[in-house]
Amino acid sequence: MPPDRQLLLLATAAFLVAVVPAVRALLSGQWRTSRQWLPMLAGFAFQTGAIFLRGETVKQCPMKSLSDVLVFIAWSVVLLYFLVGPAYRVSLLGIFSAPLVSALHVLAFVLPNAFPDYPGKVKIDPYVEVHAALALIAYAAFALACITGVMYLLQERFLKQHRIGGLFYQLPPIQGLAKAIQRLVLLGLILLSASLAISFKLTTPISNPKLVFAWAVWGLYAVIGLIMWRHVLSPRQTAWLAAVGFVIPFISLWLVTTHG
Amino acid sequence: MADAATANPQLVCLGLNYRTTPVEVRERVAFPEAKVPEAVQEVRSLPGFEEGVVLSTCNRVELYATHSHADPQAAHEAMVDYLVRRFELAPEQAEALVTYKLDAAEAARHLFRVVSGLDSMVLGETEIFGQVKAAYQKALEAGTTSRALNKLFQQAFTVGKKVRNDTTIQRGSTSVGSVAVDLAEKVHDLKKCRVMLVGAGEMSRTCAQSLLSRGAHSIIVSNRSHERAVEMAAEMGGSAIRFDEWEACLHEVDVIISSTSAPHFIIKPELVREVMRRRRWEPLLIIDIAVPRDVDPHVNDIEGVYLYDIDALQAIADEGRREREKQLALCERIIEEQLARFGFVQGA
Repeated sequence: MPPDRQLLLLATAAFLVAVVPAVRALLSGQWRTSRQWLPMLAGFAFQTGAIFLRGETVKQCPMKSLSDVLVFIAWSVVLLYFLVGPAYRVSLLGIFSAPLVSALHVLAFVLPNAFPDYPGKVKIDPYVEVHAALALIAYAAFALACITGVMYLLQERFLKQHRIGGLFYQLPPIQGLAKAIQRLVLLGLILLSASLAISFKLTTPISNPKLVFAWAVWGLYAVIGLIMWRHVLSPRQTAWLAAVGFVIPFISLWLVTTHG
Repeated sequence: MADAATANPQLVCLGLNYRTTPVEVRERVAFPEAKVPEAVQEVRSLPGFEEGVVLSTCNRVELYATHSHADPQAAHEAMVDYLVRRFELAPEQAEALVTYKLDAAEAARHLFRVVSGLDSMVLGETEIFGQVKAAYQKALEAGTTSRALNKLFQQAFTVGKKVRNDTTIQRGSTSVGSVAVDLAEKVHDLKKCRVMLVGAGEMSRTCAQSLLSRGAHSIIVSNRSHERAVEMAAEMGGSAIRFDEWEACLHEVDVIISSTSAPHFIIKPELVREVMRRRRWEPLLIIDIAVPRDVDPHVNDIEGVYLYDIDALQAIADEGRREREKQLALCERIIEEQLARFGFVQGA
C-alpha cells in the first residue's frame, strides 16, 4: 500500500477514535470537549500528510478523482471545524463531524478504481488549483452547515418533546445553531463565489459539466441563503434545507468526477 | 482532666448541619464571614490544638482541626465547649446542640463528601466547593493551617474536582427554577435574554430570580395589581407594565413566565402565531406555572415555540434528582478510592 494510503488509514482510525468514545461518553453524559481535540488533531495531521504525499505522486493538487475529492473535502471539513467550531462556540461540531469525515474516507477507499494514477500536468495553472481548492473548501462549509442543521433538528426535537437529558445538555442553544447554519452557508457561498469568479480568469479549460454543476450548487445555496436572510421559512425548515441540501453538491461531485 | 499528648497531630471535625440541627440553632452558632479569621485563631488556641479551619455556611457550621490529645473525645469536648462559650449558649441550648464528631479517616471522608456536594441539601450542588475553598483560604491567610490541614484540604479539592469531572452528579436541574434556567439557556444566549412575567406569583419570582442570577438581560413584570408589578420589578431591577399592555409587548421578549390566576387560557395560539410572525421566527420559551394553566397547550405546536407547564417542569426536576441519586454510588466509590490513595483507609 502506498504511503499516502497508509497515512489515510491512520487518519481514518484517528477519526473513528474520536467518534466511538465520544459517542459513548455523550450517551453516559460524561463528555468533555478536550477528549475530542487530540484524535481530531492527529487525524488532521495524518490527512494533511496523506494529501501531500498523494500530491507528490500525481504531481498536482490531488483533486481529480472522486476518491481524492472526497479526501480533500474531508480535510477541509476538519480544517473548518478547527477554525469555525470555537468561533461559533459550536464545540460539539467535532463529534458530529468525525463520523462524516470517517465515512468520506471509507467511501474514498471502497470506491471502484479508488485513487487512480493520472498523468501529471505539463504546466500547473495556479488559477485552476485555487479555483478547485476554494470550491472544495466551500463544499466543506456546506457539509458543516449540514452537520449543524442535524444538531439544530436534534435540539429542536428535544425541546419540543421535553426530552431533557444526555445530549440536550451538550448541544448549544438552538438560536446559536440557527445562526451558525446561516454563517456556514454564507461562508460556503463566499468561497464558492470566489472560486467561480476565478473560473473567468482560467487559461486552462475546465470541462463544462464541472462549471455547470458548480453554478448549480451556487444557485441552490444562494436560494437557501436568501430564504434564511429574508426569514421566508422557519429556522427548523432552513435547518432541514441545510441538512438535506448537501446531497446536491455531493451528487454533483460524483457526477463530474466519474462522468465529467 | 488533661490527657496525655500524642506525637502526631490527630485530625478532628466537629460540625452541625441542616440534618442534625434546626435553622433556629444553626443561625445562633453561625460565624459571620468577618469573624471567621478571629474564630480560626480561637480554635487553634484551644489547649492541645495545632491547626484550625472554620466552615460556616447557611446549611452548616464545621470546625476542622488537628490536636495532640491522646483521647479524641477530649478534643471534641474542647470544641463543643468553645462553641458554647463563643456563642454564649444557655445550658438548655448547649444541651440541645446536636453535633457530629468525626476523627481521622471519618473526618477526611466527611470533608471529601462535603466538597463534592454529596452532603448538601441539593445533592451535587457546586456552590459548596467555593465555600470550602474560601474557608480554607481564610485560615491559610490567618496562619492557622499547617502541614496536616493544608494537605487535607488540597486533597479534598482534588477529590471534589474528580467527582465533578468523572460523574454527572452536578448535571441536570433539581428545582423548577433551575429547570427554567436550563431551558432558557438551550433556547437563547441567556445574556441577551429578555424575560416577561405575566402575573407576579412567588413561583414566577423564583424562576425570574434564577434567570437573573444566571445573567438574563432584563425583566418586565405585568400583573393585575400594577402596584404589585412595580414592587416586584423594582426588587429585581426590571420594569413594570400595566396588565392591559403585556400582549402588545410579547414579541419583544424571549422568555415568558406566566402565573396568573385566570380561570381560562390567556395565551392562545392565534396570539402566539402573530407574536412569532413579528419576531421573525426568533425562538420563544413559554413557562406556564399557573394552575389552571394560562397557556393553551396547542401553542407548543407552533414552530419555534417551546411550552413547558408546571407538570413538565416538575417532571424534569424529579428526573434530575433521580439522575443525581443514581450517580451517588459512583461518587462514594471515587471518594473511597481517594481515601485509600491518600492513606486514610486501607486500599481494597
